[in-house]
Amino acid sequence: MAALPKLKRTDQAAFDAFSIKRRRLADKLASIVITFGGIAIILSILAILVFITLEVYPLWKGAKAELAGRFDLSKSLVISSKSVNPTSVSDFPILALGIDEYRQIGFVITENGLVDFISLKDGKAIKQIPLGKIEGKKITSALGSLDNEEYTLGTDDGYILPVDIKFNVSFNDNDERIIEPEVVEGEPIKVDALPLTHVAFNALDDDLKGVAAVTSDGRLIFLSQLTTSSLVGEEKKEELKYDLTPELKGRIVTAIALDQFLDNLYVGTRKGELYHWDIRDKANPRLQEVIDATGNPEIAITDLGFIIGDRSLIVGDGSGNVSTWFQVEDNTSPIGRRLKKAHALAQHNGLVTAVAASPRDRGLLSADSKGVIILDYSTSERKLLELEGEGYPIKALAFAPKADGAVAVDERGTLYNWSIDNPHPGVNLKALFGKVWYEGYSKPEYVWQSTGGTDDFEPKFSLTPLAYGTFKGTFYALVFAIPLAVLGAICVSQFMHPSLRNLIKPVIEIMAALPTVVLGFLAGLWMAPLIEKILPAVFLIPAVLTVMTLSAVFLWRLMPKSVRGRFKEGSELFLLLPIFIFGIQICLWLNLPIENLLFGGDYKASIFNTFGLQYDQRNALIVGFAMGFAVIPIIFTISEDALSNVPKHLISGSLALGATRWQTAIKVVLPTASAGIFSAIMIGFGRVVGETMIVLMATGNTPIMDWSIFNGFRALSANIAVEIPEAPHGGTLYRVLFLAALLLFLVTFLVNTAAEIVRIRLRKKYQQL
Amino acid sequence: MKKFWKSGDPFVWITGGALAFSLLMIGGLLFLIMAKGLGFFWPSDIAEVTLKDGAKFLGQIRGREEIPQPDASVGTPKLYRIQLQIGNRDIYGLDFKWINKNEIAKIDYPSEAVLFERLEWGNMYGFIKEIREGEVIIARGNEQSWIALKGILPQTEEIYKTIKRIEKKDIGDFNYNIEKLRLDIKKLELRGGDPSALEARIKSLEYQIELQKKLYQNKESELAGLYEKLAENKIVVSTVDGREKEMPIGTIVRAYQPNDMSLLDKVLLYISKVWEFVSGEPRESNTEGGIFPAIFGTVMMVLIMSVVVLPFGVLAALYLREYAKQGVLLRIVRICVNNLAGVPSIVFGVFGLGFFIYVIGGSIDNIFYTEALPTPTYGTGGIIWASLTLALLTVPVVIVATEEGLAAVPRQIKEGSFALGATKFETIWRVVAPSAMPAILTGLILAIARATGEVAPLMITGVVKLAPALPIDGHFPFIHLERKFMHLGFHIYDVGFQSPNVEAAKPMVYATTLLLILIVVFLNLAAIIIRNRLRKRYATSAF
Repeated sequence: MAALPKLKRTDQAAFDAFSIKRRRLADKLASIVITFGGIAIILSILAILVFITLEVYPLWKGAKAELAGRFDLSKSLVISSKSVNPTSVSDFPILALGIDEYRQIGFVITENGLVDFISLKDGKAIKQIPLGKIEGKKITSALGSLDNEEYTLGTDDGYILPVDIKFNVSFNDNDERIIEPEVVEGEPIKVDALPLTHVAFNALDDDLKGVAAVTSDGRLIFLSQLTTSSLVGEEKKEELKYDLTPELKGRIVTAIALDQFLDNLYVGTRKGELYHWDIRDKANPRLQEVIDATGNPEIAITDLGFIIGDRSLIVGDGSGNVSTWFQVEDNTSPIGRRLKKAHALAQHNGLVTAVAASPRDRGLLSADSKGVIILDYSTSERKLLELEGEGYPIKALAFAPKADGAVAVDERGTLYNWSIDNPHPGVNLKALFGKVWYEGYSKPEYVWQSTGGTDDFEPKFSLTPLAYGTFKGTFYALVFAIPLAVLGAICVSQFMHPSLRNLIKPVIEIMAALPTVVLGFLAGLWMAPLIEKILPAVFLIPAVLTVMTLSAVFLWRLMPKSVRGRFKEGSELFLLLPIFIFGIQICLWLNLPIENLLFGGDYKASIFNTFGLQYDQRNALIVGFAMGFAVIPIIFTISEDALSNVPKHLISGSLALGATRWQTAIKVVLPTASAGIFSAIMIGFGRVVGETMIVLMATGNTPIMDWSIFNGFRALSANIAVEIPEAPHGGTLYRVLFLAALLLFLVTFLVNTAAEIVRIRLRKKYQQL
Repeated sequence: MKKFWKSGDPFVWITGGALAFSLLMIGGLLFLIMAKGLGFFWPSDIAEVTLKDGAKFLGQIRGREEIPQPDASVGTPKLYRIQLQIGNRDIYGLDFKWINKNEIAKIDYPSEAVLFERLEWGNMYGFIKEIREGEVIIARGNEQSWIALKGILPQTEEIYKTIKRIEKKDIGDFNYNIEKLRLDIKKLELRGGDPSALEARIKSLEYQIELQKKLYQNKESELAGLYEKLAENKIVVSTVDGREKEMPIGTIVRAYQPNDMSLLDKVLLYISKVWEFVSGEPRESNTEGGIFPAIFGTVMMVLIMSVVVLPFGVLAALYLREYAKQGVLLRIVRICVNNLAGVPSIVFGVFGLGFFIYVIGGSIDNIFYTEALPTPTYGTGGIIWASLTLALLTVPVVIVATEEGLAAVPRQIKEGSFALGATKFETIWRVVAPSAMPAILTGLILAIARATGEVAPLMITGVVKLAPALPIDGHFPFIHLERKFMHLGFHIYDVGFQSPNVEAAKPMVYATTLLLILIVVFLNLAAIIIRNRLRKRYATSAF
């Protein structure tokens, strides 16, 4: 009890000087300041959760679209439509359309061989460029690339013409952007004499060109052109042309797709079959497989296309289904791969008239005969948007080059221009936590791979392997820590003299304060190589130490009482320290003999042969030790508090009834304090789950899912630390990492709260006892 | 035997075993760090190892281990190998070499063997052949050269210091000024206004830049002269295998002949090396030299954090304990605040990055530093954001400790104060707060200890492996809170795991680890002692 503070002379003077009013005012002011300040501080601390949640929220918002413009092309493009068929409004002669990257100018390619550029501000025609190389011919088919730049046109006399549409951007004196469209025509290639109803064209390094086309009488032609230049500089063209019609066995082709590598040609038929030709050998196109893609001969394939990267095939059919397909490894196939349906996407009410893939991500648009356009994300199968037209079939469809808009033209010649805000297309619950079938994988899997080398790389954000890693590390750490910490706490609280207890507790508390970066460094650079050398000894240590402890008790009990009595209660246990050092030394000596005896001299090979486990130097065992070490003091301190606060009369009663001190500890004290020990373990769990530096430094950080103690993992926390510095602010990766942080926050917060409630209850229970 | 088990003693001893094992681990860990960290600075003797095939190696013995012989039959004599630090990275490529014991013919300790600590390429072990000034040989042989070297080394050190000062201070100043003027011009351009007046002002600023550039060039030429002078004196060292290496004496930091030194000399050298470690700048991508910037950064960050965390923590605790209406809601709030201490630090780091850096820092940049955009000033990691993040991380610690202290003040004292007519605020200010002072201090120390050892949140809020400048320097406003900084804990992570030559860097990491642990343990001990005193003063239960 401290003495009352004395009023000093100066205080007295101050006291006199203060009028009651001023003092009351000061009191009130202080009260307001402290109340508001306190609430503000507490709220701002709690605002962490709110802020992180707000940063995560946009992931779920989905896409938004706005109709930025709607123009009647049949009116604005009078001149162009006139020459073809001015009266038929219902079938506007459009074949392809596109839009520039600033979404200011749209263009349409019509049957009469003209490219019309339209301002998307007012729908007025800006410019009309006739295609010189096919002047006077009618265009019968067209196909565009994802970025709205390269188009392939098929003519009524069997030619194809590659066309590049360019927008040259310059700035005038007032810093206004001026976009000048330009059409660059390529070299026409003669494919056939009849009109071409479907065309596909790709050029590989300008030396090799491939064309697939369907003629008006239903023949399917594949043509390749190889340009070789001799040393003198003479160019030699070698052309190979194949008629693939016989292999179609009379099926009517409704859509074709040719990938950019000129490796695969896909053809869809009216009966819903998908024909796949392997055209890697240009001199020998081989029909690889024929798949019934729609499952019903009544349902035709209506359009084919590729997702960015040209590895996933988009299939739209007559019943309104859209799906994506890619080749996966399959040993039953002669080439080892087989085309499989990976994702079933939009379900339209009418037949699918057009598909367009996003030039940025794995999203795709599909339009139907009812004028509805659906935006899907292929890998996550997330339906992002549904755009409504005016009920007329959509004839042409294109994604904006930056994937921030879409344009479509329906059969009446109405052009729709939507702006799309779609910041996080690939993320949904399924992609984050479920198995996802990524392109090129043989089956759906959990994958975390946030960055890749190529432009068309798809980031893979499965948090499951990371959460798995977190729990794996936690599991091994707790397996190591709980027995040591709880047994140690029982020992200190029950069998030791209070003076010893006061000595040991601070030591353990200091252990709790050791920076985890230190533990991680030692684990990664000192312990990992060491344990790799002496693994057999490590597994020997617990057994040897237990045996030595038991023999030590045995010897101790043989000692005369006079010797035993000299030790302060519990201090005899310190005799174990030198014994343990000796025991560990013995294990080290035994390491090589045991390795030779049991594992044939190489435990790694032995483990691999027996269990099929690979031994990594930085593995879960190391993390278990290091994190266990970090968490032992926390579990120890809290359990010890709970154990030593068990009311003394319970213990005395038990001892008085003749129970040994062990019986008292285990039958009386432990049950009473079990809730406290549980809460200690929970708090330890919370600490381990979020531990960052140790897992970062002592594991290989590979996001694999494997319970083996001998390999590493990647934990949520380490993943955040590694990846967030490189994650662009506001991007999908950034928000996914915030989600990981939110998960960690919630898990630890809930676990800690539960532990705290348990502790409060326990305290009440002790007061009642 | 039955009695043996029934007595319970074996179980008691097993619990004791668990405790002993834990204590052994702590002891072992501290011992390991001590041994490795302190041993690093000791100038051990240089061994000349001659192999049976005649090959010779010169270096310091750093370790010894058993060679595993998987296929040997039982009873084969054990084989050992020693790890020799042979240095001379520029000649051999690798600093360390393992030598099998049974291949060694003899080990000598030649007294004239010299260890050179160099600015580049790490240590060099060898014998001095001669010293040249330009092309003139001024000393030949070990004895003569050693004396000459002793004379020249302090001079070159002086020149080196001058160079460093010019590079850091003067050239740094010019760069700073030029950058500032450039930003001023941009600022004027952004603001716009009367074109003619603007042009005139920009002209004058541009002229100033030119002026600075001229001054800069003068200093450059002065520097070039100094560098030339530094390269003037050369030393020729022959390695043990007979190769010769000529190098400027200016690149030598320290040269000594450990085999010829007395124990006292070695102790003095040891102390000077420890001092260099604590006060020097890092070299060779942080694997050599000192860690002063890291210590400075850590201390400064912790200080800023304390300035923030102390008033806020105490204010919140005062509110919770003295002003708020005690009830269920308050109990929930208290549990929440308590549990925030258990939320992983990386989560706070993520919050710091998202909120402090991108939201607040980004806004500051948009309002006050428009001229520097798109280069971020506050919108990127910096010491202020790291400190604030850690303040947020540690404020629950201060709140909890302060509350505990406030709760421990006996009611009678407070009631006495009220009875004497003091208002609530006066009571708190003059009676309660002073009594709770030790508790507040404990909280602060625990917060500091936690912040000192924390690395994960710093990695994403402003720590770098090598900061170009300290957060405090001679340029107005002297304290640069937006600068990135170095930190002891991150230094350990970075040097230990990201450096190209981990083996050579390890001793440095152990030494840094030791320093960090000493600081943390010292702070914690202080907190524990204060807390124990406090408990004695108000003997109330605190569980």
